[in-house]
Amino acid sequence: MSFLSMVFAACVAITVIAFHVAPARLRPHVLLLASLGFYATHGLGYLALLVALTFCTWRAALMIESAATEQGKKRLLTAGVVALVLILCGFKLAGALTKTPSAVQMMEQDAVWRFALPLGLSYYSFRLISYLLEVYWERLPAQRSLVAVSLYVSFFPQIVSGPIQRPGMFFEQLSRIGRIDPEDFAAGLRLILFGFFKKIAIADRLEPAVAALHAAPGSYSSVELLFGAYAFAIQLYADFSGLTDIALGIGRLFGIKGPENFDLPFLARNLQEYWRRWHMSLTSWLADYLFTPLRMALRDHGQAGLVAAIFLNMVAVGIWHDFKGTYLAFGVFHGVALSVSVLTLKRRDAFFKARPGLARVRKVVGPLVTFHLVVLGLVLFRAQSLPQAAEYLTSMVSGSIHGDVSPLRFALDDMPRKLLMALGGLVLFMEAVHVARRSPALRERFMVSPRTMRWAGYYGLILLTLAFSRFGEEHFIYGQF
Amino acid sequence: MSTAEIHARLTQVMREHFESPLLVVDASTTAEQVEGWDSVAHVGLIVAVEKAFGVRFTTKEVKSLDTVGDLLALLERRSA
Repeated sequence: MSFLSMVFAACVAITVIAFHVAPARLRPHVLLLASLGFYATHGLGYLALLVALTFCTWRAALMIESAATEQGKKRLLTAGVVALVLILCGFKLAGALTKTPSAVQMMEQDAVWRFALPLGLSYYSFRLISYLLEVYWERLPAQRSLVAVSLYVSFFPQIVSGPIQRPGMFFEQLSRIGRIDPEDFAAGLRLILFGFFKKIAIADRLEPAVAALHAAPGSYSSVELLFGAYAFAIQLYADFSGLTDIALGIGRLFGIKGPENFDLPFLARNLQEYWRRWHMSLTSWLADYLFTPLRMALRDHGQAGLVAAIFLNMVAVGIWHDFKGTYLAFGVFHGVALSVSVLTLKRRDAFFKARPGLARVRKVVGPLVTFHLVVLGLVLFRAQSLPQAAEYLTSMVSGSIHGDVSPLRFALDDMPRKLLMALGGLVLFMEAVHVARRSPALRERFMVSPRTMRWAGYYGLILLTLAFSRFGEEHFIYGQF
Repeated sequence: MSTAEIHARLTQVMREHFESPLLVVDASTTAEQVEGWDSVAHVGLIVAVEKAFGVRFTTKEVKSLDTVGDLLALLERRSA
């Protein structure tokens, strides 16, 4: 059931009513029932797997907490984490070996389901692992309530594509579920509206041009391919951040705040900063549960240990999406680039500190270089195979002015120039809203502005979304992982 | 080593690690409040602290640290 379907909207509406009518102590049960019902629509077998893994993890956490010795705790933790990682990798491997369609193929072919990989497994298995680790590290008491743990794992707004919420933050909010702030509801609706706008008016509008360019890169000029690479970066950003906003917005309707996933990533000054601003719930998860333990284990190996930890972390980011050559190449590319960036940062800082004039140039050049490295990595991410990625990149840097088709034909076929310019405006508007969202002062100014002005803004956003929509062709890129 | 001595020495280690000679930290200071204190710098700081105080931390101990105060308390326990 897609977030964009009318059936899903109706189910959310019914759940919201049932949730708010129910007594406070039964609200988690209502949400759990809705979440399991939502998941069951994707297959009862997968629901059984979700329930079994949740139950085992809930028991394992209680056993870790009550184990008499540190060795016993560690053994239980290792067994639990290894089992979860093996199940996740097993399904991903099975998918890769049976040559199921890639995420991008799924997106293009209007497929909604992928054989072998249970919906949201990449997300909920990470939630289960983080719960076990937090209990083992004694940062969180093991939950006695199976309902609380089950809801944490299966919470329907977040199970399809995150964000990956930490257990402590979730359980703390669950304990206050009887006291919902009405502002939560309004904030949730605003997030949902803005998420739909990003997804429908920007991401889906860019999709045909991006797909055409990636399908036959040899037929297009370098300029067009460069445009395609930029366009995919923006498409993915609008698509995934739109999906995140919808998920966060639906969560707020039930008084549950989720973690942010993006923080103006394309303005990052270096790659380290970029990875702290892009898909933040995944990268911070990996930083806490993979990078730090790895780095601690390798800390006696100096810079080599640091590089190994960074490299393995980035490879994990790549293959988390799928066991596929292009995602592995994406991870390796970022592993190498990030290692170089980390190892040279202090020297670069010292160089520019001694040259104040150049430091001003760095403020502009740094984000530009970072953005282009990100765009380059996303060509690998978007390609259906490594040869196709190589063809795209070689054609893009070949300097060819004319492809087999006239310049910008792809744009003129499906995207008139005026529309292209309008889309540029929408992207700037999207980023302006993101900037405003980060600023408490600007948020406050918006909230105290006259009601007519705010509602004019909401209606304007709805009209823009409808005006730019391509109904019937929507798929969330990150709904596949 | 007294609490004040541990605090002074830890501040010195942090100033050197973050190359910030005027850095002032107290028990409530968190990573978000210090420029450059990210996940990469965090383990680097732990290694520097281990060397300066002649101790060795486990990952579990490191993961239990949320503030500079937590690190001070851990160092106090170790030097007790």
